[in-house]
Amino acid sequence: MALARSRFSNFSLSDSEAGFSLAEVMVATGLLATALVAVAQLFAISTSANTSSRNTTFATVLAEQKLEQLRALTWGFDPLGLPVSDITTNTAVTPETPVGGTGLAPSPAKALQENTPGYVDYVDAWGNILGGGQNSPDGGMYVRRWSIEPLPTNPNNTLILQVLVARIRDRGTADLGNVARLPDEARLITVKTRKSQ
Amino acid sequence: MTAHSRTVRRRDSSEAGFTMIEMLIAVAIMMTVTGAVFALMNPSQGIFQTQPEVSDMQQRLRVGVDSMAKDLVMAGAGTYAGSAAGALYNFFAPVMPYRVGDVDDDPAKNVFYRADAITILYVPPTPSQTTIRDAMPKTAEQLKVNEQSNCPRTKTGEIDQHDALCGMKEGMRALIFDNQGNWDAITITSVQDEALHLGYDGELSVSYAAGSNITQVATHTYYLKTDVATKTFQLMHYDGYHTDLPVVDNVVSLQFQYFGDPLPPTLLPNKPLSGSGPWTTYGPKPPDLATTFAPWPKGENCAFMVDPVSGAQVSRLPVLGGGVGSVPLTEAMLKDGPWCPNASAPDRFDADLLRIRRVRVKLRVQVAQVALRGPAGVLFTYGGTSTGGARLVPDQEIRFDITPRNMNLGR
Repeated sequence: MALARSRFSNFSLSDSEAGFSLAEVMVATGLLATALVAVAQLFAISTSANTSSRNTTFATVLAEQKLEQLRALTWGFDPLGLPVSDITTNTAVTPETPVGGTGLAPSPAKALQENTPGYVDYVDAWGNILGGGQNSPDGGMYVRRWSIEPLPTNPNNTLILQVLVARIRDRGTADLGNVARLPDEARLITVKTRKSQ
Repeated sequence: MTAHSRTVRRRDSSEAGFTMIEMLIAVAIMMTVTGAVFALMNPSQGIFQTQPEVSDMQQRLRVGVDSMAKDLVMAGAGTYAGSAAGALYNFFAPVMPYRVGDVDDDPAKNVFYRADAITILYVPPTPSQTTIRDAMPKTAEQLKVNEQSNCPRTKTGEIDQHDALCGMKEGMRALIFDNQGNWDAITITSVQDEALHLGYDGELSVSYAAGSNITQVATHTYYLKTDVATKTFQLMHYDGYHTDLPVVDNVVSLQFQYFGDPLPPTLLPNKPLSGSGPWTTYGPKPPDLATTFAPWPKGENCAFMVDPVSGAQVSRLPVLGGGVGSVPLTEAMLKDGPWCPNASAPDRFDADLLRIRRVRVKLRVQVAQVALRGPAGVLFTYGGTSTGGARLVPDQEIRFDITPRNMNLGR
């Protein structure tokens, strides 16, 4: 009896071998689960960071493309020194057409805030230009808006060209008030001046 | 006895074991947590494998775009010091849709258009712009240049003078060209006190007269290398002399499209042909009406002819697309002549190349690992062994345009 008792008391004395209570296990599990969710979020973040970097790259390249298209339009002087301006080329289609577009004609005031036919086109995920208009054709992924403003101090010879490229989505308040650039979007500005030969 | 055993049990309640309910709850919790861990592990592994490859592919796309864009935007930049100041398109075509150089030259094989190759020439910022002192035969191995005021100065002892070599150094790429549409890109292999030794394979395209222009030049050829057998798909760069190097791996498609000036070249008014240039809106100037550039008739060259009615020098090239906008230049237009400087010259080029004002590039890259590519089709140019899900990374494709600044000077 004494033996048995001493054995039992030995066991009960050793607290470290007592195992965990359910509450302890629950707390531990809860911690583990929280940590796992946090780690899992890292994977999601890495994926969305890559997607965002892809969108930023594409938006920038597409914005550059539109600026280069506009830069290639005639805005100079003929051999006799008279100004020549291209205000009809449609750059929203492939291949460009010499008529049916707006070329380098000045844009309405809100060309960067709303889809203004003549100053907007749509591009798919492979960089194909799908066309212009108020709304995107099927398959459109990016919207490109551009504005052409004469420089106030030299309106006849110098233009300010701006391009804003965004994923096609509701831009919310970014389309109100001043021109805003959201994350993943690209906005480029350049100046084009008439040069004589 | 009974009382005793009860006491023992009570005393050691910690060893009483679990009830069934407790067990069930514990097992359920364990199962849920383990299940969650596994559910997480599977896609995580895929994402872990995939995402670095995705960002690698995107980086390759960016490098491809940037490296070509920086050279394309410079295309056609000409000399800016000395007698021949002006853009290169006033002399010859600085953008050519094929490979040009000493090794594997396309014109030598009678190839004058390749959708997946482009050669770009421009004069970088350099003081080494001058003219050659003596006439050069086709097989010239060395040449002497004139010391011009723009040449860098050197000080030998007490004498401070313009460098007799105009700053040309060993290994430099140089361009020799004249007013008739002839040009040759060479490499300077070594220099002596007053003479430059030239490196090129074969011979020069023509004999250059004394006073022809020589300048430092940058020559860049970009082309697509596709070898399905060894799975090599690379954007390649060729320096025009002896070196081909890969720029970007896993480029599966590369295409160049050209858009041009709808208006033909015209002679600029009040610019006598004997005076200083530029003499034309673009293209090489014709000789005066009494002079012949063989084999063209008197007063004509590849870009200009003498109008039989008025007797004036007018363009040989047509007006395209109503004379407005930028006109797509098709393969047929770019290899049907008229040829500059003439149809039998070794370095000849189609006069329509002078019209190029904008280049559109399509670039497509694929993910490097076969295990991340699905079956060949719209999404994948070359198929792979992907099992789907997160391990499916489609090719990425982009189009960009470049308007070379020095080929749009009057626009």
